[in-house]
Amino acid sequence: MSRNCTFLVVGGGIAGVSCAETLTICCPDETILLLTESSVVKSVTNLVPVARYLHKFDVREQNVSDLRAGIGTIVDQLAYINSGEHWARTRTGLVINYRHLCLCTGGAAKVFSAGEEELNARIIGLRDTDSVLELQRRLASAKDVLILGNGGIASELAHELHDVNVHWVIKDAHISATFVDPGAAEFFQLAKREPDQTATTKPTTAIKRMRYSELLPTAEQEEEQQRSKRGAALGPDWHRSFDLGGGCADSASRAMPKIYYNSQIERVEQSPADTALSVTLKHNDGSVEHLSCDFIVSATGVQPRHDYETDKPFHLAADGGIKVDEMMRTNLCDVYAAGDVCTAGWPNGAHWFQMRLWTQARQMGAMAGRSMAAVHEGETVYQDFCFELFGHVTQLFGFPVVLLGRFNGQDLGRDYELLVRCTRNKEYIKFVLQQGRLRGAILIGDTDLAETCENLILNGTDLTPYGDDILNPDIDIEDYFD
Amino acid sequence: MVVRPYVEELKYLEKINDHCWRIKKGFQPNMNVEGVFYVNSRLEQLMLEELKNSCRPGAVGGFLPGVKQIANVAALPGIVGRSIGLPDIHSGYGFAIGNMAAFDMDDPLSVVSPGGVGFDINCGVRLLRTNLFEKDVQPLKEQLAQSLFDHIPVGVGSKGIIPMNARDLEEALEMGMDWSLREGYVWAEDKEHCEEYGRMLNADPAKVSMRAKKRGLPQLGTLGAGNHYAEIQVVDEIYDKWSASKMGIEEKGQVVVMIHSGSRGFGHQVATDALVEMEKAMKRDKIETNDRQLACARINSPEGQDYLKAMAAAANFAWVNRSSMTFLTRQAFAKMFKTTPDDLDMHVIYDVSHNIAKVENHMVDGKERKLLVHRKGSTRAFPPHHPLIPVDYQLTGQPVLVGGTMGTCSYVLTGTERGMQETFGSTCHGAGRALSRAKSRRNLDYKDVLDKLDQLGIAIRVASPKLVMEEAPESYKDVTDVVDTCHAAGISKKCIKMRPIAVIKG
Repeated sequence: MSRNCTFLVVGGGIAGVSCAETLTICCPDETILLLTESSVVKSVTNLVPVARYLHKFDVREQNVSDLRAGIGTIVDQLAYINSGEHWARTRTGLVINYRHLCLCTGGAAKVFSAGEEELNARIIGLRDTDSVLELQRRLASAKDVLILGNGGIASELAHELHDVNVHWVIKDAHISATFVDPGAAEFFQLAKREPDQTATTKPTTAIKRMRYSELLPTAEQEEEQQRSKRGAALGPDWHRSFDLGGGCADSASRAMPKIYYNSQIERVEQSPADTALSVTLKHNDGSVEHLSCDFIVSATGVQPRHDYETDKPFHLAADGGIKVDEMMRTNLCDVYAAGDVCTAGWPNGAHWFQMRLWTQARQMGAMAGRSMAAVHEGETVYQDFCFELFGHVTQLFGFPVVLLGRFNGQDLGRDYELLVRCTRNKEYIKFVLQQGRLRGAILIGDTDLAETCENLILNGTDLTPYGDDILNPDIDIEDYFD
Repeated sequence: MVVRPYVEELKYLEKINDHCWRIKKGFQPNMNVEGVFYVNSRLEQLMLEELKNSCRPGAVGGFLPGVKQIANVAALPGIVGRSIGLPDIHSGYGFAIGNMAAFDMDDPLSVVSPGGVGFDINCGVRLLRTNLFEKDVQPLKEQLAQSLFDHIPVGVGSKGIIPMNARDLEEALEMGMDWSLREGYVWAEDKEHCEEYGRMLNADPAKVSMRAKKRGLPQLGTLGAGNHYAEIQVVDEIYDKWSASKMGIEEKGQVVVMIHSGSRGFGHQVATDALVEMEKAMKRDKIETNDRQLACARINSPEGQDYLKAMAAAANFAWVNRSSMTFLTRQAFAKMFKTTPDDLDMHVIYDVSHNIAKVENHMVDGKERKLLVHRKGSTRAFPPHHPLIPVDYQLTGQPVLVGGTMGTCSYVLTGTERGMQETFGSTCHGAGRALSRAKSRRNLDYKDVLDKLDQLGIAIRVASPKLVMEEAPESYKDVTDVVDTCHAAGISKKCIKMRPIAVIKG
């Protein structure tokens, strides 16, 4: 059994879908197949066709017998790629002939392992809607939960859980270390102590970022999916739709998580006395601590996933991701990669670096699409400007957070200074300045400075004449540089 | 900046009447003409207080008070008439925002200055009407706002959903709204209701750097953040029924949509590139200014000409941007109300620019002259019978769209003959700020946070106010005050007031 297509995209997550979307817009007359092993992420916007580029595309088609223009989806798993002869084979034996291939197979959640299967059943990796539903289910009867991890998802979770005792174990010296500096971490903790800041009900304000939903496959595949850890990654605003309440309605509903700094889990055992888990923590200084919990949530990042065979080996980066150049090409002919599975192998722009985030997955997927389309049409494209400036918008502990450029002075050595403005419970602004120029910024709270900072970084404006007044709270710079 | 004691500075300022002050030559060095600023009593207080604060030792260094910036602009070569400050004037890069200045095109010494246009070239406002009323929209307010958010990307790093490639961008830069029309994003009559018909003919994409194009490409069709926003508004008051009806506004409660946006990163890069080139050329052409930020070039120099062509391309970019958002807004409404934008009568009332430089004919000392008019934070307001305004507004005068700070009310004004004479047909653009603005009673509180940051071993400075500012009750320039002042001064006439019911902002 075989199929032919011009473009084959593997992976139904945001990178894959962005890639497919871009291809369908750039090459509306070509055949595009999306190979996914589970659900497909679909953006909520669906433009009414008007101009020549826009047309509705149906992402649900599963058995594509006559390939016409548009995207067809096949629910199966990739097993083998023959890049030399331009074909791929799935686990069920289907052979797909392609002209260009993009791999968006994402990452597998790194889930802490306790060694024994019975114990591991009580350690949840948080990756997709299914795992969040699982979390909700277990929470309902839980009194103590341990969160392991210090990234975006762990931070959001530590904030959202209520009516349960939260034990947050992090290997760093301050929370949310992947995103913020110790000052901002302190800002969050001070804020959390004021009860009025956090809302107990979900806000009804509109969701400003792109909204995504999941298309689940047919019923037969649903069971299969439930057992696996695969599935499209959680998108932005995931926690808005879930109420994450535990089984302790009597305790302070928004009690602070107990944070265990500089710690790792050494051992997990079944408690002899009751049904709880007994966890042994080891701190960086060598000391040991015990705690007990009902289950563990492991939000410890992802491992790039490329568990399929190829005729020639990939060049991999040190972190295990497939190396790509600025056109998102791998070392294999006509094979591209985007999203969590790849590692940026080009010299990074002055204010950009890779972080495995949804925003980057979308940008990379779109870039790969443009790149493949250009090769197909014989055109030249340039790398998308989004790779010039790191930008990420998220929410942590109830505050809007904007991270721009080298927001923690990444790769600037010691050759920079910080300018900080902070009002408890309201805002935390940190500028990273090098020779009078803004190189990065962390903006927490409703600062209205995101666009101004984006422009200041990219313009390279010399801010020396303003000195510290650039962040003087009595001076509004929001439109000064307009 | 020359710094004298406050009482000395005041000697150069003279109140002409209840809504106008003059700034005499000598206030700043080398003034070629006088300055003038329009205020009412409240705004006057803010202007003077801002000056007072800057006269104190250790005052706010890099940020000049508005009056000083007006005076510095008056010192630029080739300036004609007066350096004018509209009521919403506030401190900006180079020129203050709300500072308008015209230069004689026939004077070989005349200059063009990117600081007089602004970085966000052709930041402007477009107003769409609908035939919906508040009662139709109120029950659906949240869904409508969400629908707009789904269609119009906002926020940092957002990408436009209307796809464009490099070739599209080149064409859009050259053709402006004609490109949007060709692609089917706007209606033909939309162009009629736009300054320059949505296209500056002297645009030359070749004069725009690759970096600007790369920076602009992903941003087409996005709102961005900062003070760019879209608002669903409701007509709150009609002051001039007849003019309002010419705009299709008949009753209070009628729903309109206001889009406030510009050329974003594209304009910023064009301006940045030009400033660099011009700074280099200033020595060669022996141009001196009071402020480095007022970098400029002779209008007829290669740098000047290149900038004007690139600026025109950026202006076209902004019109295409607003047009894309018009398209998306129409889609969102049509979807929500299950009808067509046509049936909703979603026409463009008008589209104004408030960061732009234009070549216009004006009467100066009884003679008609060709002038390069810089309007930064200032809107063109041509009177009735002016040849450059659309046929259906010939008797009313050009509509002027004035957005308040997001969330406050907005206005539609009309241009007047008096404005044509006094301010080269210019008026305000929105609300303003003053340097001594205590935005939100910030209570700075550093110790715990700084202690943690110390671990990083990097030099840290903190931003704190150096002076104890007297607590001014509301030290921002309210849009109502601003608009009323323009009306009282006769430089534009109030027509409609709107209030927002939903805001789309990053």
